[in-house]
Amino acid sequence: MAKAFKRKGDRFVARLDDVEREVVVALLQQTQDFLEPAHREPTGDAFDDLVATLGVRPLGDPALTPQVPFDPAIERLLPTANREDPALAAEFRRLTEHGLRERKSANLGTAIEALLSADGDKVTLGQAQAQAMVVALTDVRLLLGERLGLRTDDDADALQDRLEAASEDDPQLYLAAYYDFMTWLQESLTQALMS
Amino acid sequence: MSIAPAELSRTEIAEDTSLDSPWITLVWNDPVNLMSYVTYVFQTYFGYPRAKAEKLMLDVHQKGRAVVSNGPRETMERDTEALQGYGLWATFQKDE
Repeated sequence: MAKAFKRKGDRFVARLDDVEREVVVALLQQTQDFLEPAHREPTGDAFDDLVATLGVRPLGDPALTPQVPFDPAIERLLPTANREDPALAAEFRRLTEHGLRERKSANLGTAIEALLSADGDKVTLGQAQAQAMVVALTDVRLLLGERLGLRTDDDADALQDRLEAASEDDPQLYLAAYYDFMTWLQESLTQALMS
Repeated sequence: MSIAPAELSRTEIAEDTSLDSPWITLVWNDPVNLMSYVTYVFQTYFGYPRAKAEKLMLDVHQKGRAVVSNGPRETMERDTEALQGYGLWATFQKDE
């Protein structure tokens, strides 16, 4: 039986059994796969390659110019940053998307490592690990929430009714159970961080 | 946002928009982010005291969005990027 995160001095401790840790790691991993920046082959142009290592996409290369995101989950995890000016929004995405993906991916990696190094069922996080975990759990929940069709507060309220009417093998039931578990875990870690 | 308390008091946030700060950062309500977590982010990133962070969070939740910072465009872009890093639905725009 899982025990939520609690602050113990400068540490954050939870108890998650093997199956629970496996589920959380798998969800973190899937979110990391979804967000990880695409590997970029060297272009042969020294300047473009240097710019790429800085996390800024070269101008003018249509293959590398970020398009309007086609997956609504991307729009949720990396939202359009200016709703009034498409050019400014595109520029913001060009300058920030790669870096945001890298930082989110690194957070998710830190969270995965922390769970994999659990001492039996006991998951112990230092301050930096706890901060990475609480952000990583947010990204997992944003992705799951999008897959569950949660776009407004009304959607969230209606989800319970939808699930009660769903058939037993409806994959949405599993997603919703994972989502609830992640919510519970994140709420406890947030409270512990604020205490 | 999710996990709303049973009763919410409506509180107006004092706008400290100055004339030379024509750009703003907005955070929009969404059904996934936890009220506690949004408060935590406002405290952690902006260094706001708990009470101010909670008022801003309630503004987002009840009004659908809140202005969380204002200043030069570059600063608002930096705030937007950081808040998106935390998973909040942040945007920047010219103040109207």
